Amino acid sequence: MLLAGAAAVAGMAIVRAARSAPPNPDGWFAVTVETDPARLTGPDRPDELARIAERHEVRISPAPGGRGSEIAVREADGETRDRVRKLKQLLETGEVLLVDRQPEGHRTALGRVGTPAFRHLTRKGTR
Amino acid sequence: MRALCWTGVNEVSVEDVPDPGLLNRQDAVVKVTASSTCGSDLHLLDGYVPTMMAGDVLGHEFVGEVVETGPDVRERRVGERVTVCSIIGCGRCHYCKEGLWSLCDNSNPNPGFLETANGHASAGIFGYSHALGGFAGSHAEYVRVPYADVNAFPVPENVPDASAVFASDAVPTGWMGADLGEVGPGDVVAVWGCGGVGQMAALASLRVGADRVIVIDRFPERLDMAAEMGAEILNYGETDVLEALKELTGGRGPDVCIEAVGMESHGTGAQYAYDRVKHALRLQTDRGISLRQAIHACRKGGVVSVLGVFLGVVDKFPMGAVMNKGLTLRGGQQHGHRYIPMILDRMSKGEIDASPLLTHPMRLEDGPRGYELFKKKQEGCVRAVFRP
Repeated sequence: MLLAGAAAVAGMAIVRAARSAPPNPDGWFAVTVETDPARLTGPDRPDELARIAERHEVRISPAPGGRGSEIAVREADGETRDRVRKLKQLLETGEVLLVDRQPEGHRTALGRVGTPAFRHLTRKGTR
Repeated sequence: MRALCWTGVNEVSVEDVPDPGLLNRQDAVVKVTASSTCGSDLHLLDGYVPTMMAGDVLGHEFVGEVVETGPDVRERRVGERVTVCSIIGCGRCHYCKEGLWSLCDNSNPNPGFLETANGHASAGIFGYSHALGGFAGSHAEYVRVPYADVNAFPVPENVPDASAVFASDAVPTGWMGADLGEVGPGDVVAVWGCGGVGQMAALASLRVGADRVIVIDRFPERLDMAAEMGAEILNYGETDVLEALKELTGGRGPDVCIEAVGMESHGTGAQYAYDRVKHALRLQTDRGISLRQAIHACRKGGVVSVLGVFLGVVDKFPMGAVMNKGLTLRGGQQHGHRYIPMILDRMSKGEIDASPLLTHPMRLEDGPRGYELFKKKQEGCVRAVFRP
């Protein structure tokens, strides 16, 4: 677990270092959702989208090629990105897919201690 | 329940773990009746996939019986015998609707690692690390299946588990290799790797009308199995593959080259020694020997179809050959949902029999020995399949 985690962090650091510019903290995080833009802009827009919009600038635009809507959220940290992805899941599939509380065998002491950081890394990336 | 868990590099053990339950309204719980080892598991076992945790339940290729369904499951019924696709799709995102199921936007709740490493995350896979969703695997008595209506496929009564289990992964993956290459009459197809997926890629190529199929491996029993299906064989331990392929194809090279080996490719000579050392020292994530060879061998304007699992970067990638020969390079985890109903139908009609792959039926309790035999290819093992 320790080795795997270290390799994961090192790998991600290398990939990030290889980018031409560091991620822009003021940039936009965008997802494309298979839904009509009207469903995201009117007074009946999803509550979660309204809550995200209270703290972040949100831009809704139609996606080209009949691919639904683009939701862009400004200054989205890892937590907000996770919320936006879950909103997309909810709009497209009707539920937020859960993976916690699944069967698992014996975790090592190190594994148990490191699990929160490990989950954060795999779920939300390095932000 | 009992389940086979990854416990460390080259270590697995059968442990008592909690039973799975319904976590989402579209879930089903399936009682596993057969669950196969897969060559791609070996990358997890060998510690090359960095997001495994000791205690993770392995296994992604399985068949079983539905024992519980969530309130929003409409199609599947308790008591149905089902093959479950190893790749998890949601069925409603743009990619699933386009038939590109392994690119599903919604079935991987842990996209962070892959988004950083690859730019985008791909679909979740049962028992295949936390980067691929962190789903508990099928080497267990029971497994939870998300979006059950689209991921579980009823198995015709006359198709035995020994064949149906491979409709979950090996057969559709192999079929996709031929499909990506648009294999048809007049084509000569070469397949690197005679494991379960390579065998099924050869079978698929023959079924869709390829004139000739040539398979490449070094294990005589695996080559014999492919020859039994009607493929021609090349043993790379005894033959110069590139020379032989040119001779066999009138100097052209194969029209479609299917790579069914992946990131732990074996080979001979200095190239293999170079890759092996760099891989062992973690200076590269993937060994590309068979991929390089497939690109080199492929005819001008041909298609290289990559089914073997690659994780990150391949050293000494022959981009010059890809560009100057005008090759088309295609790949992907299997879009299994596109093929599984057709495959089960063909199995029912006797047109596909995948059961010869099942060389070692075993109890789940014998899982560690099963992986040992499978990894080292001992006793003629092509696939060890556990019956929990």
